[in-house]
Amino acid sequence: MKKHNVVRYLQGKIYGCLLICVMFALGACPTWAAPKDSPWGGDYFPNIELTDQDGKKHKFYDGLIKDKVVAINFIYTHCGDSCPVETANLKRVYALLEDRMGKDIFFYSISIDPKHDTPRVLKEYSERFKVGHGWTFLTGKKADTILLRKKLGLYNSEGEKKLSDHNTNFIIGNDNSGRWVKKTPYDEPMTLAWALGYSLSKNKIMPGGKHAKYTDAKPLPNINKAEEMFRYRCSSCHSLGRGSGLGPGLYGVTLQRDRTWLKRWIKEPDKMLAEKDPIAIDLYNRYNKVLMPNLRLNDSDVEALIDYLDSTANPNRHAH
Amino acid sequence: MKKTNNFSAKENAEKPFKDKACKAGTLFSKPLSALTVAIAALTGSVLTTNPVYAAFNIPTDLPASPLTINGKTAAPFSAKMVMFEEFGVKNYQDLTGEVPAMPQLPPVAGGCDSMPNGADLDSFLSQTLFPLPTKQANENTNAYDPAHPEDDDHYLENAWEQKVEDCYPSLGDIHSNTEGRPTGEFFEHQRYEDFPSKGYFQTAMTGARTNGGLRDLNQRHQYSKGEFAPGGLYYIDANGDGIPGTKGVDIKMHPNLPAQDPHKVWTFDGTLPPKLLMARYGETLLFRHYNALPIDEAANGGFGLHTISTHEHNGHNPAESDGFAGAFFYPGQYYDYHWPMVLAGHDSVNIGATDPWAGAPNDDGGNTLVRGDWRETMSTHWFHDHMVDFTAQNVYKGNAAMMNYYSAIDRGREPATVTEAQGNGTSPSGHRADGWGCNYANPASPNLCLPSGSNLDWGNRDYDVNLLVADKAWDKAGQLKFNIFNTDGFLGDHMTVNWIYKPYMEVRKRKYRFRILNGSVSRIMKIAIVDSAGNKLKYHMIGNDGNLMEYAIPFPNTESPEALPQQSIAERYDIIVDFSQPIIGNVYFVNIQEHTNGRGPSKVIPLASILSGAYKADYKNGDPAVGKFLELRLKGCGANGTSACTDLSMNPADYEPGKKNLVVRPKFTTEELKTAKHRSFEFVRVVTTDNKPWAIKTDGGLGLNADMSSVSAAPQSTGPEGSVEIWHIKSNAGWLHPVHVHFEEGQILYRDGKTPPSWEKYARKDMYRVGGPGPLPDLSQRVDMAIRVREFAGTYVEHCHNTQHEDHAMLLRWDSMHPGQTIPLPSPELGWEGVTYNQTSTLPSYLTGDTKAAKDFIIPPQ
Repeated sequence: MKKHNVVRYLQGKIYGCLLICVMFALGACPTWAAPKDSPWGGDYFPNIELTDQDGKKHKFYDGLIKDKVVAINFIYTHCGDSCPVETANLKRVYALLEDRMGKDIFFYSISIDPKHDTPRVLKEYSERFKVGHGWTFLTGKKADTILLRKKLGLYNSEGEKKLSDHNTNFIIGNDNSGRWVKKTPYDEPMTLAWALGYSLSKNKIMPGGKHAKYTDAKPLPNINKAEEMFRYRCSSCHSLGRGSGLGPGLYGVTLQRDRTWLKRWIKEPDKMLAEKDPIAIDLYNRYNKVLMPNLRLNDSDVEALIDYLDSTANPNRHAH
Repeated sequence: MKKTNNFSAKENAEKPFKDKACKAGTLFSKPLSALTVAIAALTGSVLTTNPVYAAFNIPTDLPASPLTINGKTAAPFSAKMVMFEEFGVKNYQDLTGEVPAMPQLPPVAGGCDSMPNGADLDSFLSQTLFPLPTKQANENTNAYDPAHPEDDDHYLENAWEQKVEDCYPSLGDIHSNTEGRPTGEFFEHQRYEDFPSKGYFQTAMTGARTNGGLRDLNQRHQYSKGEFAPGGLYYIDANGDGIPGTKGVDIKMHPNLPAQDPHKVWTFDGTLPPKLLMARYGETLLFRHYNALPIDEAANGGFGLHTISTHEHNGHNPAESDGFAGAFFYPGQYYDYHWPMVLAGHDSVNIGATDPWAGAPNDDGGNTLVRGDWRETMSTHWFHDHMVDFTAQNVYKGNAAMMNYYSAIDRGREPATVTEAQGNGTSPSGHRADGWGCNYANPASPNLCLPSGSNLDWGNRDYDVNLLVADKAWDKAGQLKFNIFNTDGFLGDHMTVNWIYKPYMEVRKRKYRFRILNGSVSRIMKIAIVDSAGNKLKYHMIGNDGNLMEYAIPFPNTESPEALPQQSIAERYDIIVDFSQPIIGNVYFVNIQEHTNGRGPSKVIPLASILSGAYKADYKNGDPAVGKFLELRLKGCGANGTSACTDLSMNPADYEPGKKNLVVRPKFTTEELKTAKHRSFEFVRVVTTDNKPWAIKTDGGLGLNADMSSVSAAPQSTGPEGSVEIWHIKSNAGWLHPVHVHFEEGQILYRDGKTPPSWEKYARKDMYRVGGPGPLPDLSQRVDMAIRVREFAGTYVEHCHNTQHEDHAMLLRWDSMHPGQTIPLPSPELGWEGVTYNQTSTLPSYLTGDTKAAKDFIIPPQ
């Protein structure tokens, strides 16, 4: 895996971090000695009221942002393509930071479609994605959330005629330091975990690269285009093994499914669901109604992906 | 008053300064406060009734920057432009093996949010380098013994380590190295023994302060020669103590605007004037850059990050000294950059160093010859911050310097006499000064004798002037301001030159060379030059992106009838203007290109309608940064400025296309182009699930954002002549993307399939503008360029130089690989305690490139 060192260090941090958090809780630990010098505080962010998936009300700045390290994105629950990819990727980041979630790091997914996304709908959505503590789904007045998006630079400045035009980028930041950075749903989960858990959090991390030598560097696997696609577009939901993520593990999928069906499912899952294809509907129901997104792949991409999936389950066959 | 249903950054963004503003307000009686408001309203600072997202969102998501503050008004063309101040390169041989008797360590700031005292910092920076530079990052762990300061293997922790622990208790006990360069072999200085350092300089990046005169004695002109001498145009005695120099210069954008707060502006030394490095080929430089920024990252005045990386823009430098975005260093640490100052082709061309055109001034009228290809000679560079995700903010804040390369052909010396022009002058030591001889007088002389001056052997700046042009914005209190949330791009509303708001400069009636750098964040300019009557001056472009062109291109011309070409962020244009031509009144530089937002320019405004006032640059009807921004006041020569000027510098008209060459452009052979590897880089909107304009597709692959641990391309040299590749840079975004490729410059083969305009056809470029909002002159959707990668290896980047786009991850990593190297370097991840190297991944085409593009490409005749 990429960045295995970082994973190890971040995971190794859990105990130290717990200690720090306990110290915080006991009031024994000095707070970050950051004198506030940032113009991006309570005077900048609108203190709008938002309601979470449990019906609890929060003030945006005072309740959600102040003194916290946060990741904020904007979604709507019936969004077919970008939101599931984004949520799935954030979920991987979440997994890397799980022990700190809700303690010093918080994720917020805010609906841009409050009419549809009631707290109950958000609750169901969060359960579909099996989201745990420290990740809150929120809704509020439409005008308020537009104001908020504008303030965060996450309103689509080129105009938003329909919900799917919304800006899918998200923002990570630390209110204490006034440091805010925009990210995209396709960023490496490890990079995001590093940014949230280390750079933004001012945490100690042990260096691992002293006396590094070129001869110690590990050779690279020679990845092909399909592997690249799988890594950047599929792996947030699917593994190549049997274990399920948000979607099914894909070991042997090319043996299990008819190739023509599989090809169409990868290319236009939205249409197949709309047509109520029985297998598609079955998968949708079995996997918590998380929509398989339409990734806008072309025919040759899809063929290459299927060949790749085929080769991973059948070592004797080769991708071509 | 507070609106919550209508986005208005104006109201809220200013509040942190409310306290200060109120304090200032108490200085006035109440009736006067009302008057202050009225003045503010008149000067346009109160635009609060207009929505921010008006047609002109300038300055980006901020209120207009007031020109009247505390009753003082900054009027256009009332402040004198400052000239760049030299860092001053010192002799490296002087310090080898020598440790200061009582070495000073970097002074520590008093608080977590403050920076070292200026006098302490100057004292520290005045000493020689301590500790001595090392090939690999310094991580010595032997205890420092005060009884034996001569030991050079002290335990050299970050001198600020204790303070860092105090400020960040959550870090616990840390061990931070004195040098922030990633440790170990991957970031060791390449070819350190091949290129021993000959010169060095050191500086610290720190907050705005009054210039303490640190470099007053390091100016080559010593304030005693030419226009820098008493009575000259640029003589300065800033504090009026009778001793010339910049001691006492504050960071003010105008004398009537306040000095900048140390949290708002961070510059080299923390001072103005902006800094200039004067470098020579063959004089390998060791540049020690200290980070003296606040330990507390929140102490940034709302923008900028306290970790930094320094990129020498277009330098032919090894990767560890290129300023890789992921190789940054922390407060209290330094980073040693090792810049070999070699001509490209060092390993394969002129390896005996016998070509008289490949050389650099020797301080005595001649040249020291160097290896390499003289046709690769470079001239006007800059270096600036390249911190991952924070480049725009840090560069805007002041982390930018210019760098002039001096060489046999571009020596910065024009002849004082006809005898000198013929190569028969006499050097300071009594030798024949053939290096002063001019190419126009004798074709065997390499020196082009570009306008400069004749008091020094090289690097005369009397008539060779660096201009850093940038748009800025400031708050009600006059403090620099930036909106960090708008990643479409950031525009300021006021133009500055060398940090001064719409300055004036006095010039002699003779030829000048201007080295114009666009140092903006997102503004793409188009500069016209006119006199008071609106007549367009005649002038020549001689350098594009800091490289002398094959020919001098006369302007205005049929391809560009009104002004210079589009000049994007980071592009440099060197021009020669002769002020002895018929001129009515003053001369003005005029920006004629309009933006409405930071995505790219909207249109070119006819010069006539700007000059007549028909175009209203008033925020509502027009872009406030369109219009005149620099006034040049003409003076003759002699003591009273009344005599005619002696000017024996070259005449650029002799070097127009078809006449003499300024340089010969290095060529690629047809065979090399035929067998070149092709790569395509499309600066796009991601088309997978969304349509947002900040991604790059490599070789027809997926639209991706920056990932420092993933290599998109890796040219592999097979021999000393390097690897020739053809890169296709494209955009379909509608937005304009000025693309910058690090390390090696390229030559544009086609723009949208056609021969590029003359100023690109004869040029070597490191900036490739693609995309744009529609029918603008000299823009295209596609650039095909040829590039040769050689001599050094390691990790470089390519990115959009609209730095707000770059920071929003429109950047890719490419590696130059040595012959035989099979895997790219591991990726550094840096913390206070040093580096962790992670495994690097690659895109599938990183070795093969775009094979489809190769098939379709028609090689232009060479």
